[in-house]
Amino acid sequence: MIRTVLAGLRPTTVPGLRWSSRVTAGALALVAAAGMFSVLATASGLADLLGNGDDTVLLVTLGGLAGLASSIGFTRIRSAQRIRDADVLGGVTLCLLILIVMVGALHLLIGTTGSFVDALADATAGLTTTALGVLSPDAGDHAGRFLRAGSQWIGGFGALMVAVAILPFFGAEREFADRSRLGGRRPLAPNRRTAVRNIVYLHGVVSVGTWVGFTLAGLGAFDALMVAMATVSTGGMVDGDPFASPAVQYVAIIGMAVTGTSLVVLWRLVVGRSRGLLRSVELRVYLGLLVLGTALFLLWTGGSGPDGIRRAAFTVTAAVTTTGFPSAPSGTWAAAAPVLLLGLVSIGPMTGSTGGGFQIMRHRALLQIALREMVRQLHPRVVSRVRLGGRVVAESTLSQIVVVQFLVVSVVFATATMVAAMGLDLATALGVAVHAISTGGPVRALDGSLLDPTDWSAPVRLAILPAMVIGRLSIYPVMVAASSTVSVVRHRVRLRRRIRAYRGRTR
Amino acid sequence: MTYRRSGPRDRTARQRDRVRSTTAHVTGLALMFISGGMLLSAVVEYVDGTSGTALLLAAVVTAVLGTMLWRSTRPGVLDHATIFTAVGTTWLVASAFGALPYLFAGTFAVAGRPWAVVLADALFESISGYSCTGSTVFGGHNLIGDQGSGVLLYRQLTQWAGGMGIVVLVVTVLPSLRASGLGLIDAEAPGMGVDRLAPRVRDTATRFWKLYAGLTALIAFGLLAAGMGPFDAIAHALTTASTGGFSTRDASIGHWDSLGVELVLVVAMVLGAANFTLHWRSLSLKRVVHFRDHEFRGYLAILGLGTLLVTGMLTMDGMGIGRALRMAVFNVVTLGTSSGFGNATGAESSGDFVRWAAGPQMILLFLMVFGGCTGSTAGGVKVMRLRVGMADAYRTLRAFRRPRALYPVWQGARTVPEAIVARIAGFMVVYGMLVVVGTMVVTALGTDLVTAVGGVIGALGNMGPALGEVGPTDSFVDGFSTPARMVLAVLMLVGRLEIFPMLLMLVAPYRSLRGAGRGGRS
Repeated sequence: MIRTVLAGLRPTTVPGLRWSSRVTAGALALVAAAGMFSVLATASGLADLLGNGDDTVLLVTLGGLAGLASSIGFTRIRSAQRIRDADVLGGVTLCLLILIVMVGALHLLIGTTGSFVDALADATAGLTTTALGVLSPDAGDHAGRFLRAGSQWIGGFGALMVAVAILPFFGAEREFADRSRLGGRRPLAPNRRTAVRNIVYLHGVVSVGTWVGFTLAGLGAFDALMVAMATVSTGGMVDGDPFASPAVQYVAIIGMAVTGTSLVVLWRLVVGRSRGLLRSVELRVYLGLLVLGTALFLLWTGGSGPDGIRRAAFTVTAAVTTTGFPSAPSGTWAAAAPVLLLGLVSIGPMTGSTGGGFQIMRHRALLQIALREMVRQLHPRVVSRVRLGGRVVAESTLSQIVVVQFLVVSVVFATATMVAAMGLDLATALGVAVHAISTGGPVRALDGSLLDPTDWSAPVRLAILPAMVIGRLSIYPVMVAASSTVSVVRHRVRLRRRIRAYRGRTR
Repeated sequence: MTYRRSGPRDRTARQRDRVRSTTAHVTGLALMFISGGMLLSAVVEYVDGTSGTALLLAAVVTAVLGTMLWRSTRPGVLDHATIFTAVGTTWLVASAFGALPYLFAGTFAVAGRPWAVVLADALFESISGYSCTGSTVFGGHNLIGDQGSGVLLYRQLTQWAGGMGIVVLVVTVLPSLRASGLGLIDAEAPGMGVDRLAPRVRDTATRFWKLYAGLTALIAFGLLAAGMGPFDAIAHALTTASTGGFSTRDASIGHWDSLGVELVLVVAMVLGAANFTLHWRSLSLKRVVHFRDHEFRGYLAILGLGTLLVTGMLTMDGMGIGRALRMAVFNVVTLGTSSGFGNATGAESSGDFVRWAAGPQMILLFLMVFGGCTGSTAGGVKVMRLRVGMADAYRTLRAFRRPRALYPVWQGARTVPEAIVARIAGFMVVYGMLVVVGTMVVTALGTDLVTAVGGVIGALGNMGPALGEVGPTDSFVDGFSTPARMVLAVLMLVGRLEIFPMLLMLVAPYRSLRGAGRGGRS
């Protein structure tokens, strides 16, 4: 009976013919992960030359082999004629998971840590840009530091690709893509290829600009690069305390604010179509959150003066953009201050940025859905459409957003319950769950002090990893992948039918 | 001088003199009803040997004002906006007048407290009663046990009246509301739609009340048999049938520390939070039909799973398995049915769930969100909405794999209309926003995060106890500032009326003001 069941699990590929959509997506995911790993490993190995160079040979060799495997693999793929949307999303999830395992293995190989759980947790925190890392590479360990920063940069870049170039073209939130050529505009994402090119261009410009800014602010070139990668990706994992200098803090504030801005807004600034940008409700809400959040935070922590404003702006910007740079609490924190930061992290920045959270556009959609429902209570037969950014949003998109809210709350509850059962107190459990799915650290206690993830047990650190992955990929890809997997297994196994057939044969 | 009997023409003329206002008409009648409860409590106070003058005065004031309002108005047009205004205003005014007995009796007038705080406490207790929440400002400096029997009975009666719904009461006796009364009942408890137990709305409302009264009597007998005294048994029956949770003792059910009492209450709370339509059908058909209902099965599954998880976690924390099971069963059911009774014998005792580990508390928080079944006296989001929400999420994910397929939402053997799915989705969005905004406001008023989250979810779901600083043995005076308590009181009313009536109650008056000069329509 077991052989019968296992026979159903073999993939359906016939040599010489095109692969199925699902197998193609899986293969492409593997190849893409290997390619990104190759770039990361090679770059880390070269970065190690700036230090003692102990790990250069290992890293460059591994990077080279991965690159070779990726190239060969890519040429051997017999791509399906058309890859289904669900398989694309599943492939994206698989790519991230494979990359996490690879980067974790790399941490173990170069000796950043000897613990598998720590390696996996840090790799996940880096690639999901969550700032709940547990490793602290030495100042001289350039390979380890570059690996951490590089994984954040790749994670942030990947998040942009998912938000701007993948999800809108594969069935989710199509209206949020910038595809319109109305008014002679050059859209950011008229098609997939152009979207990828424009994202690489913009992200590269912002990254280089931030690097230069930190260098001018007084950081060394390598340190500036590390901090810039953590800023631009909204990863937030840095080594030591590079923000002791006010100049560095100001650059970080500007860098984070730019990174939390929608790529569409940045694109329009670049192509010279900035007129009317401030009419964008989402942009105004984003800027308003930064200003109002800073003012409230200042009020509730008793801060004052230029230094107080700067520190408040730094903390609030790090929260709104879900970057999560650590900042030690100053003054006396009122009960509302940590709640304000938690709320800002869960709201998140603009849609189409590297930031996490639920994001402003989706919140606006939810608000409009709520208002429409109240109108329907009064006028049940009214036909009412939701408009965002001047465009009518399809009912399917609205339905997806509502479902995302439901799933986010479910994941938060499940994660909080698991970590609470594993020993964290209630406030910390809720904070950890919200930060994990919003991909924004660090977690704070009720008095504002920073909580160290290394103080948590290994099961707790493992329990929050799924929430980080789900949050970074904006829910859909992971959930679609999970439901596809369940469906495939049920279809292949057809356990009840096989059990009945087996019983029929043995009678 | 000739005497002529008044005829139909005279009555019509007198009615024409009355102002057309459904809101005022329904509110007036509701005030007359609640004055009846005050009067009964005054009688009990006199019989008990203490002065019932305060309660009598409150009853007279409420009855006179209610009668004047009722007699000077007649029902007007019943559109959706008017219905929401009528329901929202009735509850608001009834809750406000419901504070009069506490104010006249000086229940919260403890030495040194400003009059504004005394007023706020009286309002809070009244709203907590009528909304069947069960949160209390008694405790510490002002014990429940120090109050007279009349005040205690009045407190219990507020929850009993609020449990079935003041508007349902009005529809039962007001013939002039006729078919539109179903809209009023539906507005008071909007959800999947109210099942008609009879062809006529008035008969439907009457049957609901008969079921409710019958259940109350049954619970009272059960508690008597379990060892409670007559007064306590009746008082607790009133607040169990309504899943309200007020008790006549400071330690709530923990005062008796009796397994028999707890078991009776567990069964009663489960029945109170189940759909009353199922009870009626079971009685009519003379067999139990509850287990054929998917919502009821889901509701029992949630309670069962919650009990198992909490028992396991408490056992792992060192509690004996028997004790853990008893604590888990009672507290899971009391919060899962939005009743809010406590079986803690004191602070730090095993029933004080705010002293439990975080894991069981998270399970309780989850239960506090979802509450009982539709068509019951329970609060919360309701199990049916959870089921529909989960089904909607699943079909959205399936639609990714097959974009052109049509996937209806199934509940049992029936599909749920898309309009209902959209309404439930909208409800859950608004509910989530209220939780977030409410938590932010309450923490801004000086409450810590955990207590605020527990308080807001407890208020919206009409649960009773919160978490953090305010558990089953604590008073809301200790954990929340006066402004924060007022915010929670508003949320209690919003939650009791399932959000939309309270949020939309100002629409009709706004329209009237805008169209002033078209006559007295409201």
